[in-house]
Amino acid sequence: MSGPAYMPSDEELANLQKLSNEYQPEVTGPLVGERQSSSAITTEYANADPVYRVKTAALPSKYAYFRTCRGDGHCGWRAIAFTYYEALLRVGDVGLFQQEQARLKSMHNLLNAANFPEHVYIDFVDEAFELLDKLQNSVRLMDGTGADTLLQAFNDMSVAMAIITYFKLLASAWIQAYPDEFVPYMEYNQDIKTYCSLNIEAAQCEIDHIGIAALAEAIIKPAGFALEVLYLDRSPGEEINTYRYDPSGHDGNPQTLRLLYRPGHYDILYKAEDVQQPLPVPSQAPLQVALAGYTDEFVPMASNMPDVMTLIPGMYPTGIGQRWPSVSYDYNSTPAPQPQMTPVPTYAPAPTPASSVASSHQEYVTPVHASHVNHHNPPTHHSIQLEPPVTLPIHPPPPMTIERAPQMTVERGGPFRPSMYELEPGFHSGQPHALPFQTSIFRNSHYNTAHFLNPDFQPEEWSPDAEYATGNRGRHKSTSQ
Amino acid sequence: MALTSGHNAPNGSRGQTVAQRLQKELMDLMTKPTAGITAFPDDENMTRWTATIEGPADTPYANLTFKLAMRFGSTYPYEAPSVVFKTPIYHPNVDFSGRICLDILKDKWSALVGIEGLLVSLQSLLGEPNNSSPLNGQAAELWDNDMEAFKRHVLARHKTSEELDLDA
Repeated sequence: MSGPAYMPSDEELANLQKLSNEYQPEVTGPLVGERQSSSAITTEYANADPVYRVKTAALPSKYAYFRTCRGDGHCGWRAIAFTYYEALLRVGDVGLFQQEQARLKSMHNLLNAANFPEHVYIDFVDEAFELLDKLQNSVRLMDGTGADTLLQAFNDMSVAMAIITYFKLLASAWIQAYPDEFVPYMEYNQDIKTYCSLNIEAAQCEIDHIGIAALAEAIIKPAGFALEVLYLDRSPGEEINTYRYDPSGHDGNPQTLRLLYRPGHYDILYKAEDVQQPLPVPSQAPLQVALAGYTDEFVPMASNMPDVMTLIPGMYPTGIGQRWPSVSYDYNSTPAPQPQMTPVPTYAPAPTPASSVASSHQEYVTPVHASHVNHHNPPTHHSIQLEPPVTLPIHPPPPMTIERAPQMTVERGGPFRPSMYELEPGFHSGQPHALPFQTSIFRNSHYNTAHFLNPDFQPEEWSPDAEYATGNRGRHKSTSQ
Repeated sequence: MALTSGHNAPNGSRGQTVAQRLQKELMDLMTKPTAGITAFPDDENMTRWTATIEGPADTPYANLTFKLAMRFGSTYPYEAPSVVFKTPIYHPNVDFSGRICLDILKDKWSALVGIEGLLVSLQSLLGEPNNSSPLNGQAAELWDNDMEAFKRHVLARHKTSEELDLDA
């Protein structure tokens, strides 16, 4: 490590160690930040050590986004807890929420076996479950508020600390229930209870590799998620070292929680395809940036396909009561054949059509808007608004489609996908829309493509009678067809 | 960013507040009292408490009662409260200002410990001092080598609650 030329004395070392132990980094920023482009990391390291520079240069191409966690000594725990909730939200399946709640409840046995007093830990459990309930409701209503709710909860110190404490207790209980898996990574002859009380349960302790492994086994893998930790350090090589925990028996592409580790600190990373649905961005956020990011994502449909698979209910490796009947956790599970190819018929696939309508809506609308908003004078984009509920394209408009879903009557058989406009009230009644369809360039000209968004749009028709009356130009057209 | 404003306060409006947790602990202490331990808040805002522990039998502290002052910060229970002995005590891990050296008050503190757990730990510290890292070196030495002298020092330093009130 350090050169042989200079050896600090024991006293100096002790002093340095003391300073290091007492060092408290200045902690600022939100507990969990907004998702942002990971090119910020590259920029941050642009002037740093070459090893970092090389390693971070390739980061944005693989991991498009990241999210900061406040470095207050809880960031690793916080990052894992946050991404666990976020992955549940991303899957967007009420059934998975219920499955996870049942599974986590069954793990009270484990907490009790570790002698944690229930009347004390139940407070932390309640906070964690309350957030699960809120997110589950948001998924059920498809109101698009889940991401905001999650971010707010994790920026509320008391909520976040309760959830972090709950995760710590689960990790500790898991380690104590399966000591053989973890003892080899501890110091020789270390008492496991002492280890847990000092390194896992202690209110002020950052997560270590044992804690991460315990959370992966106790919480993440059984939920069907994978956990990936990218170690950005000064080790040789051009690539960031990655360690991955994969759920057993989960083929294909599990939802992956990704952490970026920099010595002493954890943040959250995302691949572009992780970010399936645009987060509801606060309306003050810069529009152009968000638009550019999201339109990019909608073009390569192929990359979204694996995620679509995970949306299918019943496609999870663990079922309630299948692996979690009581306290019997088959931790070393040689993966039992998973029922992946047999969708559970009891799950109502009701939300799926609605969501496909919502996403097709985005795919359809966003490019039109993007071109106008980006290339014309900003003030005029107000005048190309569609129906009143569809304010800005970056807000996915599930409220609109969902609330009206019950009234939806598509009186048409056949193989055609219903148009989003059929979901609008008054579509069939032919109500005239008073909104002006004009832009600064085309005004209200019939060449203005904004008219295509008008549900009452009628393309110009060739009318033979009129043609015959005025001349014979029409005859050429008709013969050429 | 809009996020940072209003979230710096450790007690958000949504989650359980420090006062709620302390209220719950007070209820537990009153409904399920632990022998030899009392604790009660000094005022309505619950951030300062006064506690007492009785010296365990078969220790030099038997039949003596010790008063402690506890202060709870806005981050409780995720950080330990500060605790000092108000009753003068002669003990290897307590200094002459009443400050205590105990792992559970430092790196071993967990959100599960609570007031009762803390007081039970302090009570057992009386009978089982950690003489490897003493705050009071003389006490540590006498504990190991001359228990009779140790007991005399304990009794000489102790004051009853009434004596404390007279001093105040």
